[in-house]
Amino acid sequence: MVAPPSTSLQQTLQAVVQSVQWTYSLFWQPCPRQGILVWGDGYYNGSIKTRKTVQPVEVSTEEASLQRSQQLRELYESLSLGEANVPARRPCAALSPEDLTEAEWFYLMCISFSFPPGVGLPGKAFARQRHVWLTRANEVDSKVFSRAILAKSAHIQTVACIPLMDGVLELGNIEKVEEDMALIQHAKRHFMDYFDAHTKPALSEHSTSNQFARADHHHPLYRRPAIMQRMNMDVHASNQEEDDAHDDEEDNDEGDEIEGSSRSELRAMKYSVDVSVPPGLTVAAAEAIPAAEASELMQLEMSEDIRVGSISDCSNNLDAEQMPAAQSICKNWNCFLEDLGNGFQQPLGTQEQDFSPEDAHYSETVSSVLRHNLRRWVDSSPFSSMIQSQKSAFSGWSSKRDRLPVCSRGSCTSQWLLKTVVLNIRDLHCKLSDGSSPKSPEGEGRNRFQKGAAQEEISANHVLAERRRREKLNERFIILRSLVPFVTKMDKASILGDTIEFVKQLKKRIQDLEARNRQSDQRMKAMEVEKPDYAVSYKLDNLVVDKRKLQALEGSNGVGVHASVEEEDALLELQCSYRDGLLLKLLQGLHELGLEVSSMHFSASNAVCNAVLRAKVKEVHGKRVIIADVKKTIDQIFSDH
Amino acid sequence: MESSTQESPLNSNAFTFDSPHPVYAMAFSPSTSSSAASSPRLALGSFIEEYGNRVDVVSFDEDALSFRAEPALSFDHPYPSTKLMFHPHPHSPLLASASDCLRLWFLGPDGAKIRSVLDNSKSSGYCAPLTSFDWNDAEPRRIGTSSIDTTCTIWDVERGAVETQLIAHDKEVYDIAWGEPAVFASVSADGSVRIFDLRDKEHSTIIYESPLPDTPLLRLAWNKANLRYMATTMMDSNRVVVLDIRAPATPVAELQRHCASVNAIAWAPKAARHICSAGDDGQALIWELPAAAAAGTVSPEGIDPMLVYTAGAEINQLQWSAAHPDWIAIAFANKVQLLRV
Repeated sequence: MVAPPSTSLQQTLQAVVQSVQWTYSLFWQPCPRQGILVWGDGYYNGSIKTRKTVQPVEVSTEEASLQRSQQLRELYESLSLGEANVPARRPCAALSPEDLTEAEWFYLMCISFSFPPGVGLPGKAFARQRHVWLTRANEVDSKVFSRAILAKSAHIQTVACIPLMDGVLELGNIEKVEEDMALIQHAKRHFMDYFDAHTKPALSEHSTSNQFARADHHHPLYRRPAIMQRMNMDVHASNQEEDDAHDDEEDNDEGDEIEGSSRSELRAMKYSVDVSVPPGLTVAAAEAIPAAEASELMQLEMSEDIRVGSISDCSNNLDAEQMPAAQSICKNWNCFLEDLGNGFQQPLGTQEQDFSPEDAHYSETVSSVLRHNLRRWVDSSPFSSMIQSQKSAFSGWSSKRDRLPVCSRGSCTSQWLLKTVVLNIRDLHCKLSDGSSPKSPEGEGRNRFQKGAAQEEISANHVLAERRRREKLNERFIILRSLVPFVTKMDKASILGDTIEFVKQLKKRIQDLEARNRQSDQRMKAMEVEKPDYAVSYKLDNLVVDKRKLQALEGSNGVGVHASVEEEDALLELQCSYRDGLLLKLLQGLHELGLEVSSMHFSASNAVCNAVLRAKVKEVHGKRVIIADVKKTIDQIFSDH
Repeated sequence: MESSTQESPLNSNAFTFDSPHPVYAMAFSPSTSSSAASSPRLALGSFIEEYGNRVDVVSFDEDALSFRAEPALSFDHPYPSTKLMFHPHPHSPLLASASDCLRLWFLGPDGAKIRSVLDNSKSSGYCAPLTSFDWNDAEPRRIGTSSIDTTCTIWDVERGAVETQLIAHDKEVYDIAWGEPAVFASVSADGSVRIFDLRDKEHSTIIYESPLPDTPLLRLAWNKANLRYMATTMMDSNRVVVLDIRAPATPVAELQRHCASVNAIAWAPKAARHICSAGDDGQALIWELPAAAAAGTVSPEGIDPMLVYTAGAEINQLQWSAAHPDWIAIAFANKVQLLRV
């Protein structure tokens, strides 16, 4: 026996309207985007003029009615799509307008209606959260009942709107029925029971997946069915897991039952994929999330699209593709979840700002909390709206507040007790410990608390002092790092190591510079013979510089020669007994060596002459003279004399 | 007798219990013992600025609509308790109280006995006074306490040992609330709400800071029905700030209809969008947060509460029963009132 796919909501509506024997029932849902009530689903239980089915077999009345409701919906869809599509797409078994009774027409037209809160019967019921009962609907003014004209032709005499589950349940009857609270209660209860029994996940407005909002906002419309399809299978799988027994049962029946339950999953979906949302959300994304709050409704809308699409394609036959095998779903469940998670992570990632590590940690935390949240939500009761009971101690809020609040402690501080508890608790304890009589069970309580107070101070101070010290240290490390030129790593140990190296180098450099200074000082001094305590060598490009040595050469005739050659400069300090023509000979000799005398100081007194010569060492035949040669020459000169 | 009230006559759906002493800490029992009809049971902690305080246990008979004290289960308590809480599971009759340190009491058939004293002081038995604590519903071994020494301590109550201690804030911590078995949030005198994850103790995230710098945040409540939301109150402020953990720094809503400072807040245990707040104006207001879809349509004057109850004096404490979601208890002066929602 083949029955068309139905949704759980529709089945519920069917059950309700059949139990009260009314003509039709439909459910108005709030649409999140526009904030109005739109047609959710419906069941037509009235008389039918023309029956059109594909199957030759006679179906039962119930299934026929279900079929009928589907067909009516299809008809509406096709009509609303416009003329162009009509001839091409509609299958032969679909209804055409002339097949409908008036009441059916009324039902169909209801689909097109939408009510902002407070407007129209459903709107009023929704806003007030109380049922609205209208009799003689066909005779009232349009102002009271916007569909009055339609109702007139359809002979709908009674309409009742009952707010339920964030939407409004509407029941209509072609007969006149007086307002009956019992019926209302019955309908409500029946609806809730039936609905609960047939939908596994909790119907809460917070059951959302952020991706849907995103999908809605950021992806084109045609993509939604694809996402829905996957989600369908996921949720179907999740329900598989949750209620295997139920599904096993279904497996035994014909395939259509499974189809039915998969549709019900579509209908009352609770998405368990709640990908972690990083805190650095853009504003657009943040808006998307509130929209996703009631996306259950958007989900329903989307599911409508899909269902309609598939039905119109296959003319009441089962769509085998829509119903994958139960077993494979369980297998694919995990992959899908990951895919979805990954798939949606990318769009999230690209849209967010830079993801700092703190954000990553936080988003981890948030996602774990929300996973926990969903688990709890599944367990807990679905009933989220609060009905104010008749016997409530509370009264409704009126925005016109002419009553003044009571404050008997007019002059005292606000939040007195709360502040005492949190702010003065320490003082309280101290005070009590000081003044407490020994009715305390612990004998040493008093001392304990006195000491304790001081210690507690100390411990609190320690904590703060420790923190301050750490902060100071950190600050100074940073300063140090900025002073040292080449710091490779940023950790404290390597900062210190590099600083040590740097200081050593600086010290060396200072020494060198000081030595140089001293050298030039020495050169300035004319008569002094100094022995430097150290020797410094500089390596320059192509010059081989002799080590600076001072050699005291004792000449045979009591001369003292001090010669030093430093790079290109030569300094000669000579002492000898006076001889005629010595100087001339000396200069000649130096000239031959290639020493170009730049300055000379010569003095003779008491038959002793002193000479200090500065000369530049010139290259002779490509060679520079070395000290030894200079000394030899000078020696020779002297000895000749 | 509400003789001091200027307001309307005795509300027939509010039931009063007169306590011999001022009451601050209150806790609803998750349910009474296995007997069929469970009636709401309350533990009331006195607030006497003395060493000797008391915890009374009363139960409310829903048929007779009257309170019945259970003196057998009442006991003396050192120092006024800043918070009381029953073990989240109904069959475990443990009551935890916080004052100078955390104590667990066993409320057995033959009276209340102290089960353990959880004390984390380094030196001889002194620990910094606790401002609040929270019992983790999902993981009842864990209790998190908040203290004026800027730390939050997580206890494993079965072993009676500290699981971990975190320096949570720069100043005193005033309240703590669990979200998930390993995630908690705390508020402090430094004006921030921080979320901590025990799996990653190095990091905490500030999800809200009071707009005026260094305005202490006094109370925190995490919505157990929908863990996305939490609410907090500030010192000397008539606002209840509702936060969404997914969107830090920006409150979802600021509920400003109290005429004086707000003292206590409690989320509805089962409904996801209802919160009750009470303050110095003697009013207990029940708010319904708009479904986020309609959040954009909130009028600029802010959200109006759904329901209001006026008590005769400043309401200091508010608890919403998880076992009986249609009862709210408030404490003011020496009275405890049970209000039917």
